[in-house]
Amino acid sequence: MTFHLWLHRLRVMTRKELLHLGRDTALLLFIIYGFTIDVYMAGAGFPFELRNAPFVLLDNDRSEFSRELAGNFQPPLFQLVADVTVPEMSQNLLDRGKALAELEIPPDFYESLRTGRQTEVRMNISATDNVPALLFTSYAEQIISNYGFETVGMHHSGLSESGITTLPVVDDQLRIWFNANLEDSWFMALVELFTIISILSIMLPAAAFVREKEKGTIEQLRVSPLSPVLIIVPKILSMTMVIIGGTFVSIFFVIQPLFDMPLSGNMPLFFLVTAFYVFSTAGIGIAAASIVRTQGQVAMLVILLIMPMLLLSGSWTPPEAMPDIIRICIIALPLYHYFEAGLGIIFRDAGLGQIWPSVLGLSIIGALAFQFGLWRVQR
Amino acid sequence: MNHQRILAVAKREWREIYRDRLFLSLAFVFPITMMLAFAYGLSLDVEDIPIAVLDQDRSELSREYIHRFTDSRYFNFLGYLNHPDEIDELLTTQRIRAAIVIPDHFQSNLQEGRPAPVQHLLDGTFTTRARTTKGYMIAITRAFEKDVVIDFLSQRLGVSPQQVTEQLAPIKVQVRYLYNQAVESSQSLPPRLIVLVLLVASPFLTVVGIVREKENGSIYNMYASNTSREEYLIGKLMPYASIAAINALLLWAIAVWVFQAPFKGSAVLFISATLLYVLCTTVIGLVISVFVRTQVAGVLITAILTIVGGMLYSGVLTPVSMLSEDNQLVCHLLPAMYYTEIVDGVFLRNVGLTVLWPNLLVLAAYTVLLLIVGYAKFTKRPKT
Repeated sequence: MTFHLWLHRLRVMTRKELLHLGRDTALLLFIIYGFTIDVYMAGAGFPFELRNAPFVLLDNDRSEFSRELAGNFQPPLFQLVADVTVPEMSQNLLDRGKALAELEIPPDFYESLRTGRQTEVRMNISATDNVPALLFTSYAEQIISNYGFETVGMHHSGLSESGITTLPVVDDQLRIWFNANLEDSWFMALVELFTIISILSIMLPAAAFVREKEKGTIEQLRVSPLSPVLIIVPKILSMTMVIIGGTFVSIFFVIQPLFDMPLSGNMPLFFLVTAFYVFSTAGIGIAAASIVRTQGQVAMLVILLIMPMLLLSGSWTPPEAMPDIIRICIIALPLYHYFEAGLGIIFRDAGLGQIWPSVLGLSIIGALAFQFGLWRVQR
Repeated sequence: MNHQRILAVAKREWREIYRDRLFLSLAFVFPITMMLAFAYGLSLDVEDIPIAVLDQDRSELSREYIHRFTDSRYFNFLGYLNHPDEIDELLTTQRIRAAIVIPDHFQSNLQEGRPAPVQHLLDGTFTTRARTTKGYMIAITRAFEKDVVIDFLSQRLGVSPQQVTEQLAPIKVQVRYLYNQAVESSQSLPPRLIVLVLLVASPFLTVVGIVREKENGSIYNMYASNTSREEYLIGKLMPYASIAAINALLLWAIAVWVFQAPFKGSAVLFISATLLYVLCTTVIGLVISVFVRTQVAGVLITAILTIVGGMLYSGVLTPVSMLSEDNQLVCHLLPAMYYTEIVDGVFLRNVGLTVLWPNLLVLAAYTVLLLIVGYAKFTKRPKT
């Protein structure tokens, strides 16, 4: 067989797959939705900050000082939802989830501060979600301690008369690497893009393959002069083309312009790694498809493979926060490697020199899955 | 409606599921595996952050400052560094997420009452975690600083440290965390995973069950039969909803027994809410199936909708209150968030029907609405 003929067959078969995909309108619309609107919404809608955190005030003092302190809890971080007089009322609001926290000011608040005695403010914080609970605590503690120091402490401590001009404070200068302003939209949009890429690249080839098995058209392919490679590769190749196209649109027409993400990294390398990732993941999809008979089975099997990949590859919990067993298992997940490499290129300006272990990992996973699929098709 | 015909459809469907052993076992294996893997592997706590320190002062005070970090459960101290370049290397290869540089004269500056600079370096890739880490670092530094300032002032002014404390920090703050005293996601996450896993697992069953018939053409038997649309749909849904209900029970058992999630509320409330949710998620599958022609499209659309919806818009992993207003609206338009609130309510908050009835109502209304859409769009006279 000449190389020319082989190439021709590859082209024809890839075209067949693309036509198949192109004629499924519902599917096509959803692929477009995934790469554009879905990625945009994830990037735009998840700035993980405390926003208008609802709190209840139980002010037992009702003095000038207590009002001043409560007045420091302002939007956009805080939002006063109720000013109550009895603890039962705030408990009720907390139970119903209408308030995140209760701020309780003691009856002798004004008197204590005026006479220079220490007093105690109480906070009851609903901790069903731990991130907002901890953020509320840290912001509120800062506000309260600043208020205590500036408004009251300064006047009584005798600092102004003592001739002390500077205090031994720790001047902590913070430098954040890789995403200096902590733009959530960059991270979330990229994670969402990776999610869409993963779902499509494992599912599309797998489903396309099982469909042929279920309908029996694979028998036609088997008796045609096509080698197993020429049956599998066009399916993967066509989907890779679609996915790379989608990724291109998503990065250059959605993420970069709408979230002002600087793409200082080596973008050709990023797309190369993406193609590599799609190929490996598609290999897993085909391997799964080769052991089942129906599309129902492949759907369940693929979803069983994709969910751990999406949740455990590092986007929700970084590897160092996982138990050791899980940390070892995730090395077998291609998304884990893609995550390292892809974010490395985009955020940390990494080159092939830094990301080669991830690329190696992807190659091994892809090669194994592909070999398995080929072996099953040959039988 | 004829009960016999409904039962006949259900029986036929069940037999088909039952005979496909791989499909049947995956229908149960999937949710259980997911529950175990995520409850064990996922953690939303920001703890054990790997940190390294470059201490150029090597003094008593600098060591004390570092101790505040190493003693904290939030940081995992990986050791001292010798050269600034090492920080670069470790942060880029992600072996540390944070670093502290303490320059020369740290101790002498502080002892002589001057501000002492230190540098905190942070990996900003995971924005949420970086923000929380930043908060921890500031809190630890302020606490250390307070002690230094108090010591300094009590020496200079010749008063007791106690007195200075009362003057400088006149307001103490006492924090109490409700519903989850340790503020650990291991308490709240396992029950919430029931929401996520059911949302992803249940619709697939219906989608595959209905679209398979459409694609294979066996649905023409039904089109030509005297089975009505509602009889067919109810019969089809019954076996899948039952599988999903059994799964819900298994997931609950895993959350409570394997992961020791506290179950404080009413079992009756939880069971009825869960049955509603199971029905609702199965019906989502029905609605998707009436809009697609091929299983490929059906399965893919279900995957994107349920996985994305479950991860981002259900309140399971991302607290709804922290999202933008647009996305909060999306959460309110989808059913999962309402069930998450019920799960939180019965597992952690111990609240009952008086608080949670609106959520039940929304779930019920949602299910009915979806059923109506599915019913209206499902036709025995296909256009093609």
